Amino acid sequence: MNMWQKGNPYLYVLPAVFFMIIFFFGGILQGVLQSLGVSIFHDDAQFTFKAYQELAQSIDFWQSLSLTFKIAFLSTLLSALLGMIIAFILFIISLKAYNTNRFPFLYRIFQYPLVIPHLAAGYLFLLLLMQSGWLSRISFQLGWIEEIYQFPILVNDTFGWGIILTYTWKEAPFITLMVYPVLLRVHKSWYEVARLYGSNMIKFLKNVAFPLVLPAWLSSIFIVFAFTFSAFEIPYLLGVTYPQLLPVYSFELFMHGGWEERSQSLALNIILAFITGILGIISYLLSKRWLSSERRGWE
Amino acid sequence: MNKINFACLILTISILIAGCGVQQEQAEEDISLNLLETNWETILKEAKDQTVNFHMWGGDDRYNRYIDEFIAPRLKEETGVTLNRVAITDTKDVINKLQNEKSVNKKDGTVDIIWINGENFKLAKDNGLLWGSFASQLPNVRQYVDINAPDIQYDFGEHTEGMEVPWGKAQFVFIYDEAKITQPPKSIKELGEWIKQNPGKFTYPAPPDFTGSAFIRQALYETTGGYEQYLNAANEEELDFIPLWDYLNEIEPNLWRGGETYPESLAKLDQLYSNGEVWMTMAYDPGKASSQIEKGVFPETTRTFVLEGGTLSNTHYLSIPFNAEHQAGAMVAINYLLSPEAQFAKMDPVHWGEGMSLDPSKLSNEDREQLHLLDLGKATLPADELAKYKVPEIPANYVKWLEEGWFEHVAKR
Repeated sequence: MNMWQKGNPYLYVLPAVFFMIIFFFGGILQGVLQSLGVSIFHDDAQFTFKAYQELAQSIDFWQSLSLTFKIAFLSTLLSALLGMIIAFILFIISLKAYNTNRFPFLYRIFQYPLVIPHLAAGYLFLLLLMQSGWLSRISFQLGWIEEIYQFPILVNDTFGWGIILTYTWKEAPFITLMVYPVLLRVHKSWYEVARLYGSNMIKFLKNVAFPLVLPAWLSSIFIVFAFTFSAFEIPYLLGVTYPQLLPVYSFELFMHGGWEERSQSLALNIILAFITGILGIISYLLSKRWLSSERRGWE
Repeated sequence: MNKINFACLILTISILIAGCGVQQEQAEEDISLNLLETNWETILKEAKDQTVNFHMWGGDDRYNRYIDEFIAPRLKEETGVTLNRVAITDTKDVINKLQNEKSVNKKDGTVDIIWINGENFKLAKDNGLLWGSFASQLPNVRQYVDINAPDIQYDFGEHTEGMEVPWGKAQFVFIYDEAKITQPPKSIKELGEWIKQNPGKFTYPAPPDFTGSAFIRQALYETTGGYEQYLNAANEEELDFIPLWDYLNEIEPNLWRGGETYPESLAKLDQLYSNGEVWMTMAYDPGKASSQIEKGVFPETTRTFVLEGGTLSNTHYLSIPFNAEHQAGAMVAINYLLSPEAQFAKMDPVHWGEGMSLDPSKLSNEDREQLHLLDLGKATLPADELAKYKVPEIPANYVKWLEEGWFEHVAKR
């Protein structure tokens, strides 16, 4: 009886662990093996680094990689800043308000983009921003432009603004969602105390509030980067034919190539996962350092 | 001791079951062999009360409704066969599934009918995934189909050998707006001139999009001197696609967005067309423009055109997998799908709006009259005009070379 009770918690997590091992690690292992040319479906396959070598020599790959980095970096930067600003604005409003109801309505508005799937968001931005899209037509009706072709090219553009804008719109609320609850734990009285000692709002935000949200902010930034770096739908809808973003490149190789390209496609995915993994470790170490030195503030 | 007894019991039972299994398998094989030789009455009797699983691409609502609302109830009433449509996103998934089932020797498959052609048919045929030569067993095939016509006998260059039955025909057409273009071009060369005079008003979906890929094959025929040279499969080294790449690069600066990017799918091109951003689109489906007008997606003044040198056409087929459980039911269902009644309904743009696979000259006078009365929609070209400007498809292995070549020579430049 005693033993049963001891073993219980482990037993309970067993299904979850099992699931993780089989589908997550199993999937990754399968991907690694296939990228190395080993497959359970083909007996004649040989272990080889050919797929990685070919990728390293391909200009397409390096072009894709740098473009993917650029777009993921800019999307993350913009959504991190915007998300943080929104969170702080909400926070300031709640500090200044007599009513501590904390404006749930306003907060709700900023959360709406979260419920829209990425594919739908991509299509929405396409309809909104294309040269024959809603904004362009409205500008035309208002006489701001004489022809719809004068509307700036914002989607399927070579720079990637369409992708960046869509990601920013989708991910900034996510950052707010991660950061704002932490700010809510800051008591109103702290601000009053700070003011008593001659601090103003900016100093208070900079020296008190910002360090508190930093760990949550950093980890949400990492999540956003990992996502924008490896998601497929939005770059597929809003990208250009060449160069493609890595996820799109990998998808095309997998769907339309032969067996050899399939190894390359999986090698691409492994590289994506590897880069994301490294960034994950870095952000973990960073936030751990911040956490250990800043945590004391709460106690 | 008890355990050993139990184990013995299990062992005995499993041997018995295995034995039965073998006998049953034998019996089943006999039946399926018979079905390819027996008379139609026996097949009808066998098929009664069977439920047939029809795996077909489910991406178009019109096609799905045609099967569920027109075919299924009539088939049930006339023959007692229940047709169960199973929507799939890619026929290749079914081929993979059958391949896996073949490798583990699974006998009672869940796929009874598969909608197939081209590359997938070749793959299935080469790997023994199809049941057998059943076409000549079906009365409607014998009566109405011209099985010796080249565009029916050869599926993307591959001999059908009666292992699949033609269900319908598709042809490539260009779609344009009559209000904006009075004289549509008659050749790829004229199209090039038109693009030069109307910069930004034309583009095509980036291959490997299905329709975009068809467009470059269409351009290939004219720029390299006709389709005849491609009827036989060749080696990649022997092929000279350079005139094609030259043509596509020449039109590129005057394409939509200066050729900087291409729509990634036909859906995007159609969107650009219905927004008026470009003035032409295309379809591997002569009836699509009419039904898009009806739905209010394309402008009322939308029309279609084909080229003087002919546009690509292909036939799509129905087949029965090697391990189909209800072969008799599948034969009866396919036979009904090839009846004049079902084929005429399919031609109607209300249902589907695509060409029939039956030979008009083999129809009864009554049926032929009905065929003439069919209203195909205002944008659809008459069947005889489509038939007049028609060229066959290229063997399947060219398609990949062209798609890769396009990426290297056109997209990357």
